[in-house]
Amino acid sequence: MPPERKTFLIGPISSAADGALYQQIVDQIKREISENRLKPGATLPSFRALAEDLLVSVITVKRAYEELEREGIIFRRQGLGTFVAEHGHDRNREARLNSAQELFRTAAREAAEAGLKPSEILELAQKIIKGKS
Amino acid sequence: MNTNAIEIRGLVKNYPTFKLGPLDLTVPRGAIYGLIGPNGAGKTTAIDLIFGMGKNDAGTIRVLGLDHRADEVELKRRAAYVSPDLNFAVWGKVGKAIRFVRGFYPNWDDAYCAQLMKAFHLSDANKIATLSFGAKTKLSLLLALSRRPEILILDEPTTGLDAVSKQEVFGELLKAVETGERTVLISSHGLSDIERFADHIGMIKNGKLLLEGRTDEIVDRFRLAEFFSDNGTQFQNRDGLIILKQNENRWHALLDQKSGAQDWLQSKGAKEISLTRVTLEDLFVALAKDEETK
Repeated sequence: MPPERKTFLIGPISSAADGALYQQIVDQIKREISENRLKPGATLPSFRALAEDLLVSVITVKRAYEELEREGIIFRRQGLGTFVAEHGHDRNREARLNSAQELFRTAAREAAEAGLKPSEILELAQKIIKGKS
Repeated sequence: MNTNAIEIRGLVKNYPTFKLGPLDLTVPRGAIYGLIGPNGAGKTTAIDLIFGMGKNDAGTIRVLGLDHRADEVELKRRAAYVSPDLNFAVWGKVGKAIRFVRGFYPNWDDAYCAQLMKAFHLSDANKIATLSFGAKTKLSLLLALSRRPEILILDEPTTGLDAVSKQEVFGELLKAVETGERTVLISSHGLSDIERFADHIGMIKNGKLLLEGRTDEIVDRFRLAEFFSDNGTQFQNRDGLIILKQNENRWHALLDQKSGAQDWLQSKGAKEISLTRVTLEDLFVALAKDEETK
């Protein structure tokens, strides 16, 4: 019988949440990294072990890891395991900045299409940042 | 080493009112493979044939590289089968059934058995006849898993299980494949469970395979498409496109993104094409409907 393993916790994964299950795992692991609960060099569980913790298929976790590896946030060492990359935190930040930029661009375009002037768009953005809208 | 746990090629079985096949299935080693299909699709027939229940009329079945008939004894030692039809009531109590079954299998793992008893809330003293349906399923799963089989084949294991029991069962199945050496083939019509837990799926209907592959790739490949057509084109099913509904110039269809059907639609004047992700259930319903019209 395998020894009792410590459960690895990330935010909840649910079919009712937005996005494919693997994407949710990617996002949750990124969150752990950006909030410094997972530090550079930290070991991630094997994908089979994480699949068991999250009650999802092995393929789902494998795909999430592949995605994180491609982005340079984690890396794999044959026979040793999967680790958070040294610059995982920065890479993650970079990816988030890119994504935020993209979202701002979309928002600005939609606002312009709705007939808002640049000054009004800025005003709206400020309101949102201050949590008033 | 062969990386497939089960290889079925050209399998045919004729009955007076039903024909299975020709069927090809490939179950990779270490995977949880979901065999899905409506009632009467041929799931149980295929599984029974793997275990030598009934004789196939054509084709081959290889399990762990073994021929399912010539190497039957070794196959049955290394593979285990769980079905809702298995009835252990004759042994009276759970403990007695366990003591009986364990004697047949040299790999029987007592510690694992004890752990499963706890996970499934069973005890030696339980009277089998008075167990709930779900608890009986858990008992047959416990008897199969404790043998440490290399392949576990489950026919509709989640039928009649409540949500909590289902999680307990799937949790143990995921644990069972944790080393990557065990393979689980599970037949079911509970599609949302399969979508979440199975690495690979095979969809069958009327004895034929509709689709097989990695669950995530299959779900990613298809989209529900909505589009409008102002030029009066009457769209029909074609490769990669299954028309689901139409109201005047508004259409709903299932679209295979690998097929080039989207470009084809555009070339035929379809406008405002919007795509929505599908669940396994959406996909299955659409494909099954298409199979019926053929």
